[in-house]
Amino acid sequence: MSAPIATPTGADGRTARPEPRRRSRRGAAEARAGILLALPFVLLFAVFTAWPVLQSMVMSFTDMRISDIRTPFAVDFVGLENYRTAFADPVFRRAALNTGVFVLLGVPLTITAGLGAALALNQGVGRLRSVFRIGFYSPVITSIVAVAVVWRFLLQPGTGLVNTVLGWVGIDGPHWLGDQRTALLSLVVMAVWRNFGTSMIIFLAGLQAVDPGLHEAAALDGAGRWRRFVSITLPSIRPTMLFVLVTTSIGYLQFFEEPFVMTNGGPLNATVSASMYTYNQFGFGNYGVAGAMAYLTFLVIGLVTLVQFRLMREK
Amino acid sequence: MSLTARPTRRTVAGLGAAAALGLLAACGRPDETSGGEDAAPAEPIAEGPATGSLTVWAMGAEGEKLPELIKGFQEQNPDVTVEVTPVPWDSAHDKFTSAIAAGTAPDVAQVGSTWMAEFVGLDALEPTPEEVATDDYFAGALESVTVDGTVYGVPWYVETRVVFYRTDLAEKAGISEPPTDWDGLVALAQAYQEQADADWGISLQPGGTGSWQTLMPLIWSGGGNVVDEAGTAFTFESAQNEEALAYYQSYFTDGLANPAPADGTTEQDFVSGKVPMFISGPWMMSAVEAVGGEGFADKYGVFTMPAKETSSSFLGGANLGVFQGTENRDAAWKLVQHLSTPEVQVEWFGLSTDLPSLQQGWEDETVASNEKFEVFRTQLDTALAPPVVATWEQVAASFDAQIEEVCKNDLSPADALAATQSEAQGIGTGA
Amino acid sequence: MLERRSPVLTYIVLTVFLLLVITPFVWMILGSLKTQGELLRVPPTWLPEAPTLDNFRRLFDRPFGRFFTNSAVVAIAVTAGNLLLSSMFGYALAHLRFPFKKLLFVLVLGCLMIPGLVTFIPQYVLVVNMGLADTLPALILPFLVQPFSVFLMRQFFLGLPRELLEAGRIDGVGEIAIFFRIYLPLAGPAFATLGILTFLGSWNNFLWPLVVSSSESTYTLPVALALISTGQNETDYGLLLAGATLIVLPILVVFLFFQRHFIQGIATTGIK
Repeated sequence: MSAPIATPTGADGRTARPEPRRRSRRGAAEARAGILLALPFVLLFAVFTAWPVLQSMVMSFTDMRISDIRTPFAVDFVGLENYRTAFADPVFRRAALNTGVFVLLGVPLTITAGLGAALALNQGVGRLRSVFRIGFYSPVITSIVAVAVVWRFLLQPGTGLVNTVLGWVGIDGPHWLGDQRTALLSLVVMAVWRNFGTSMIIFLAGLQAVDPGLHEAAALDGAGRWRRFVSITLPSIRPTMLFVLVTTSIGYLQFFEEPFVMTNGGPLNATVSASMYTYNQFGFGNYGVAGAMAYLTFLVIGLVTLVQFRLMREK
Repeated sequence: MSLTARPTRRTVAGLGAAAALGLLAACGRPDETSGGEDAAPAEPIAEGPATGSLTVWAMGAEGEKLPELIKGFQEQNPDVTVEVTPVPWDSAHDKFTSAIAAGTAPDVAQVGSTWMAEFVGLDALEPTPEEVATDDYFAGALESVTVDGTVYGVPWYVETRVVFYRTDLAEKAGISEPPTDWDGLVALAQAYQEQADADWGISLQPGGTGSWQTLMPLIWSGGGNVVDEAGTAFTFESAQNEEALAYYQSYFTDGLANPAPADGTTEQDFVSGKVPMFISGPWMMSAVEAVGGEGFADKYGVFTMPAKETSSSFLGGANLGVFQGTENRDAAWKLVQHLSTPEVQVEWFGLSTDLPSLQQGWEDETVASNEKFEVFRTQLDTALAPPVVATWEQVAASFDAQIEEVCKNDLSPADALAATQSEAQGIGTGA
Repeated sequence: MLERRSPVLTYIVLTVFLLLVITPFVWMILGSLKTQGELLRVPPTWLPEAPTLDNFRRLFDRPFGRFFTNSAVVAIAVTAGNLLLSSMFGYALAHLRFPFKKLLFVLVLGCLMIPGLVTFIPQYVLVVNMGLADTLPALILPFLVQPFSVFLMRQFFLGLPRELLEAGRIDGVGEIAIFFRIYLPLAGPAFATLGILTFLGSWNNFLWPLVVSSSESTYTLPVALALISTGQNETDYGLLLAGATLIVLPILVVFLFFQRHFIQGIATTGIK
């Protein structure tokens, strides 16, 4: 077998072309195999996901309301009217702003925490690794009810734990969830706490594939730990990093549970998220407008993802 | 397949666009037929015992206990099989709307009181046939099942809101009789704060989801309303509404109620005396007694909402509805009839402590025995249901947001009501 | 592994963080032993004052065996389906060239970015029209393949060297066999991760099973739990926490299973 070089890919796997005369036969075989491997997934996907998506996209261009669900074709095509309504809605604009802040703060923090935990568990800890792994993952699987109770207690203005501790050093803590200025930030911290476990286990999987031989060789050359991290580990986990970045961003752009359970969008719309507002519109039966809001969210997500792919030089 | 063929992006995009356009082209509302027709009157129910099979959906605890109650029905109608599916309250509305969309709705179901207008608008419910008696229901309860003058389904059980207060702390503050008017309530709140060491005189919701349920009774109490008699237009702006909202605001501006309360502390604060007064429904009785422990039931009481012109309150609960498209209409309505007899309502109270919606049901001893329930009984006479308008949820959310501005940001009641009125008009009544 | 920093310091820091992070989880378990009165207390109590198994007793009043089986069947089917089908497609996307490849990836990834709410009712109507309403297949089929899964597998396979593919071709191994015999065995870490994430998502899925089931016989655990603990105006917290504790146990089992069997073995396979 060839020498163990973990090529830092980031490209889509293309390397030197094989000899010309074998190309077309191999190319055909490759294409056949590719299609065969792809087919089951694509078929199921087309039926159960893509088709409903197309239907709902069409719906966002109509004035469909819940009263039309029995007769979905008896609606009027209204073009971009729903999208205009969404833009004109000050609450939706606020929701978009809140979501943006949430993502800009939450994603880097979550990824850093997840990567840090994964590195620590991968290299620094031998025994008890399982215990730490499950422990750090536990917020992801804890019932949101328990999470809400404990965090509400932490953030309570008078007797809450955070303000009590702050009081020991003489700081008068604010009403974290009730003050417009701090509510969103509190939810960011809570979300980071809740979700870093998922990033962690994905990074752990990616780190496992990093060749320890490279590290040994570099250490023999005298490279320090940080240098090794930057030059070997980071590039090796680039595909993983892209994945975590994209999926965490997608998740956070659609954040819903935290404001829904903790503050219900308040106080005074300081924590309402785009997804939550869309959910409300669905609840009110404004399917056309809600669809438009959902697809606006989708456009933003798509843009952000595109930028991330470009940044990591993926195709 | 040739490697060099690049039909890819353009062709598929074209296909996708064609499909989408095709779907859009198939759309179009039919021209307006004559508007304002009354719903066709319901056909009578066939005579004789019920036969066939029925599917019934009921939520939460009601869903679990309903089979007990139906035993009597099955004894009287041995040829019918009733399948009860309990449905969680959480997201029940979504389950119903999806089922209506796909045509998989049940024959009979428990319907939340605020969903009636919406479901009628979806042509999902059947109007109530004449054989089903509707004269003995509480007025507010009957209102909640009446859409555009036609009755759909029947009220099943009711709940209403009253003021919970610490009697022992009131004694300490020198007040032995509960207040009966707006000024009296303010006085009690002040007394709690000044003479009974309470942090806040009363717990009121400063806007936010559901706050309208506490404000509306005050509006009604002063003679105002947010919809007109016919239920076709919104009337948020009026002198009475403004007065009620200003009264509500005064609790926050005068320091009697907390404008930034922490969540989920109502029971605890009530038991500890920090906030010895709040407005809520019958389920809170067991909640505060659970926190307060033994003997706490003697330390608190309830009284009807303070009156300006009348003492009004919010009426909630749930209704029973028969869905259009049921294949066993006769049996469905017979079941509804059975559940609406006073005896069965009393039996239901025994099983679930849900308050009967029939006035006769209250004459039974088991219901009339608890003295706190007496207060609820009295309140039910004047309790009103929220406007029976298909878009109420959305309008109410708008209203809640304005109430929040009033309570936390000192927005003037007049401006808040004007803003709500314009938003409500934009939303429309969904008629 | 190479030299570590002082293990003691690392352990201490990690343990402190662990304790902070794990608190709500422990509270959830302790809460399942408390009464409603104690659970409504503010500030929340830590150890139960009068521990009671009453919540668990009330839980088992209902046919939990049925709900558990439904949840298990659905979750296992969805997980297995995702692991197999997504690894196939993900590998193809990573290392093979075939028509429509880029377009398919973009489409699939695009659907990952669409908020799920918006397709909910069309998906439900579709399932009903297929005659699958109130059946277990209706709970499984729409989730058997997910954009998230294929994205994860693709990225993972991209991180594996292409030399294996070349070597396999030189040895005359067929394309599909290369996948099954060479690359798939290396997918251990990705399987472990995807397995737990997919299982978790399916196990905790609430809204879809709620809407699709119209009889108790097809209810899954989250639906059953919401049924017995959420009321019209109040929530039975003791029941809710007891149920949540029970529901989380299989997830822990699956987590440990995947981590143990898939992560350990790979450090030295294949890459050398």
